[in-house]
Amino acid sequence: MIEVLEKLVRLPQRGEYMEIRLENIVSTTIRVQNGVVEKIRVEADKGGYIRLLSPQGSWWFESFQDWDNLQERVEKAISDASLLPKSDIEVVRKPPVREEKKITLVDDFRFKSLKDKTSLLLEYNQVLKEISPLLVSSSVEYRDEFREIYLANSDGSLIYWQKPDINLNFTATARKGDNIEIYRNGVAGKKGFELVKNQEKLAQEVGQKALLLLEAPSFSGGVYDVVLDPVLAGVFIHEAFGHLSESDALYRNEELKKIMTKGKRVSSSVLNVFDDGSLDNLRGSSSYDDEGIPTSRTYLIQNGYLNGRLHSRETAFLMQEEVTGNARTINYRFPPIVRMTNTAIEGGETTKEDLFSDIEQGLYAVEYIGGNTALELFTFSAAYGYLIERGKIKELVKDVVLSGNLFQTLGKIDAVGNDFRWTEVGGCGKGGQMGLPTPTGSPHIRLREVLVGGSGND
Amino acid sequence: MIEVVSLLKKRGIAGDLFTHEVFNQAINYEANVFKGYEKEERKGYGLRVINPEGKLGFYAFNRFLNPQEVVDRALEVSQIGDRVDFSIPTYPSTWEWENFVDPGVENLKIQEMIELGDYILSRIRESYPQVLVDVTINAGREEKSLLNHHEEELKFARTFFEIGVSANQTREGDILEVYTERSWGNRDINVEDIIEEIISKLEFSQRVANLNSGKYPVIFTPSGSLVLFLPLLYGLNGKNLVFGRSPLQDKEKKVVFSSLFSLEEVQEPWALGSCPFDDEGIITKDQRYLVDKGSLESALWDLWSAAKRGVKPTGNGFRSSYRDLPEPGFSSLRIKNGLRDNSTLIEELEEGLVVDSVLGLGQSNVASGYFSCNVQLGFYVKEGEIKGRVKDVMISGNAYQALLNLKEISRDSRWIGGRILLPYLLVEPIEVNG
Repeated sequence: MIEVLEKLVRLPQRGEYMEIRLENIVSTTIRVQNGVVEKIRVEADKGGYIRLLSPQGSWWFESFQDWDNLQERVEKAISDASLLPKSDIEVVRKPPVREEKKITLVDDFRFKSLKDKTSLLLEYNQVLKEISPLLVSSSVEYRDEFREIYLANSDGSLIYWQKPDINLNFTATARKGDNIEIYRNGVAGKKGFELVKNQEKLAQEVGQKALLLLEAPSFSGGVYDVVLDPVLAGVFIHEAFGHLSESDALYRNEELKKIMTKGKRVSSSVLNVFDDGSLDNLRGSSSYDDEGIPTSRTYLIQNGYLNGRLHSRETAFLMQEEVTGNARTINYRFPPIVRMTNTAIEGGETTKEDLFSDIEQGLYAVEYIGGNTALELFTFSAAYGYLIERGKIKELVKDVVLSGNLFQTLGKIDAVGNDFRWTEVGGCGKGGQMGLPTPTGSPHIRLREVLVGGSGND
Repeated sequence: MIEVVSLLKKRGIAGDLFTHEVFNQAINYEANVFKGYEKEERKGYGLRVINPEGKLGFYAFNRFLNPQEVVDRALEVSQIGDRVDFSIPTYPSTWEWENFVDPGVENLKIQEMIELGDYILSRIRESYPQVLVDVTINAGREEKSLLNHHEEELKFARTFFEIGVSANQTREGDILEVYTERSWGNRDINVEDIIEEIISKLEFSQRVANLNSGKYPVIFTPSGSLVLFLPLLYGLNGKNLVFGRSPLQDKEKKVVFSSLFSLEEVQEPWALGSCPFDDEGIITKDQRYLVDKGSLESALWDLWSAAKRGVKPTGNGFRSSYRDLPEPGFSSLRIKNGLRDNSTLIEELEEGLVVDSVLGLGQSNVASGYFSCNVQLGFYVKEGEIKGRVKDVMISGNAYQALLNLKEISRDSRWIGGRILLPYLLVEPIEVNG
């Protein structure tokens, strides 16, 4: 196939930039719910795209399923694209790269039978079910996916990748009368079946937490000093600052560029934030991005100053900055766009205990249900929280929502813990491309005087 | 693909083969600049079987495979599948229905799409030269078909036409983004309406108004009322009812909402959800009540959950793609409108908030109906007048409680996503944190 692609990318003759992606995705999804195998989906999904920047500077994109007649498709794309209106788009060109990456998994899920996979899930479901009759619904969802990708472009780059991904998620729904609480947690990684084995303890924790939430009072909103756990802090930085650092949010917005000027002070000097797709084997990692650009570590914030941003070939060209390797697509049905890879708040100096010690009345917000942003506005829901009184972690509370203005909120971070860790579970959605693996990392961090939403009666 | 079901018939296995075929083309503009053209062709198949022991199997694929292999794969899955209580339906042979295909959408030229996009862009920029406008225009055709082991077939095709517009105005310390969309099965989208909506949202947003935390009456616009609607859809979902995780459990035929509130499922021609049959081959009703004057009348039942509950399926088995088994969903929904225009509701408001869109939709505890969201676009109303846009404001409450506390529903309404016809909803009180 590589030989075929090598010839095809030479077809454009008028300076067009062209990419061809071919993808074969074999996946298994199994959901066990209340002891029943509720869903098994075994799927073979095969397709590809041609993306072409026309000589007059506008994009042509075509997604298809059939790998035959590629030459015809490319020729037609070249001629049809030349009829598009004029625009001003150009992309950074680079010397060609070549890569062939085959994967060997410790315990390859492709060779596991459906029976083996299912019986493991049934066991976990049993663990959940036995916790309490108040758990009216318990589910275990599993997904494995093995992708083969061919990527070629008019730089002359030729890439072949194998990319595995495996997920296991537990959901427990506890109910007492009209009070219903849902708690979820799981594991994910570019790993083999070994990742999802021996997770009984996590299943236990998920069930127990749902029960505890049932009894927990709703948090009453207000202004508090807040400590975020590493999971929620990671989501916070992803949502609040990461999305604004994606250059397609600002590359054509002169006013926003002023707001996001490099060298501008955006927080206290304790804060360092980076995105790094070149890290070894996290779910957002890859040696090259989906435009064949090498991934790298980009500091978005360094010592409290705005330092860098994330680019595709297109945004880097328009802004006259270096490419960073952040163009990603979820699959062959979508063009690559500027995305985060693995995004994190770098670990600091403060111990976890010290973060809490001088808080008179505050909130410890833990894990998340979801998050969302609209440029400077952000909102994210914690899975639960604890009240902090005189430096001590106290009562469990639920329905905790943090929300606000990015720049004001960043300024409120006054301490960063030394207990850094990555969270691999979860995905990000942008421009209709949902569920892209974007791990986040952080230690515990502290914010002063934040508006927190809740529903409890005062 | 008839060979697949013929093979089922020969081997005495019940099953159905769902096929979904889509052709879609789109153009988009980003920050006032023409970005490009995208087209997509996709077709996929999902084979569902119930093996002789009554266990469910499924296999999804999107390329040509040997029918034998497809059936074997699905049967392999069925060995560990759930024992189901329903059977694959037979399809009526004498019944006729209409496809909703507009040749004007199906054969839309790139040039026409670009003229339309250019027009929208220039009209908005005439009024607001400083804003950055994104426009997306989508046009395409989809066809769904079902073949069962009796070798019966159902087929339905529709076109879809979708326009989304957002405008961004950035100033130091203040980023404003307004959005609207229209989606429909034919070309009958009023483009002037889209332009006017964007311009009037920009107009109302130029001034920022402050409001103090407290309890206020809130008018949810059609797009804003999704805040209340998503939890309700969760609660009406037959599967959630079967699993006991819906708050509407045991509430059937009881009055649980305001008597002003009626929710119908309708097969409105050209609405994007409307269909003669669901994705399991159950014929849909032209009209039925889910909620009638506050009383819970019915829910959304697919074959699986209807059989578990011992009720009749309601034609609500929908697949999010060919890859997925049917789940309870809806075709097109309509909230019964009221008597007076939303402008009158605003005029009569002493002090309150208009909520047009929120951040964090569906991210709170959807199951219990609890919501807490950042208002992305909302307006402060004082003495019947919109005083300006609110910033950094959160609303919270419970969707079920809010639908019980409905004070008035407007006469005017709008289709959201071409699938839900929603009026303006006046709810009192709603907790607002500013």
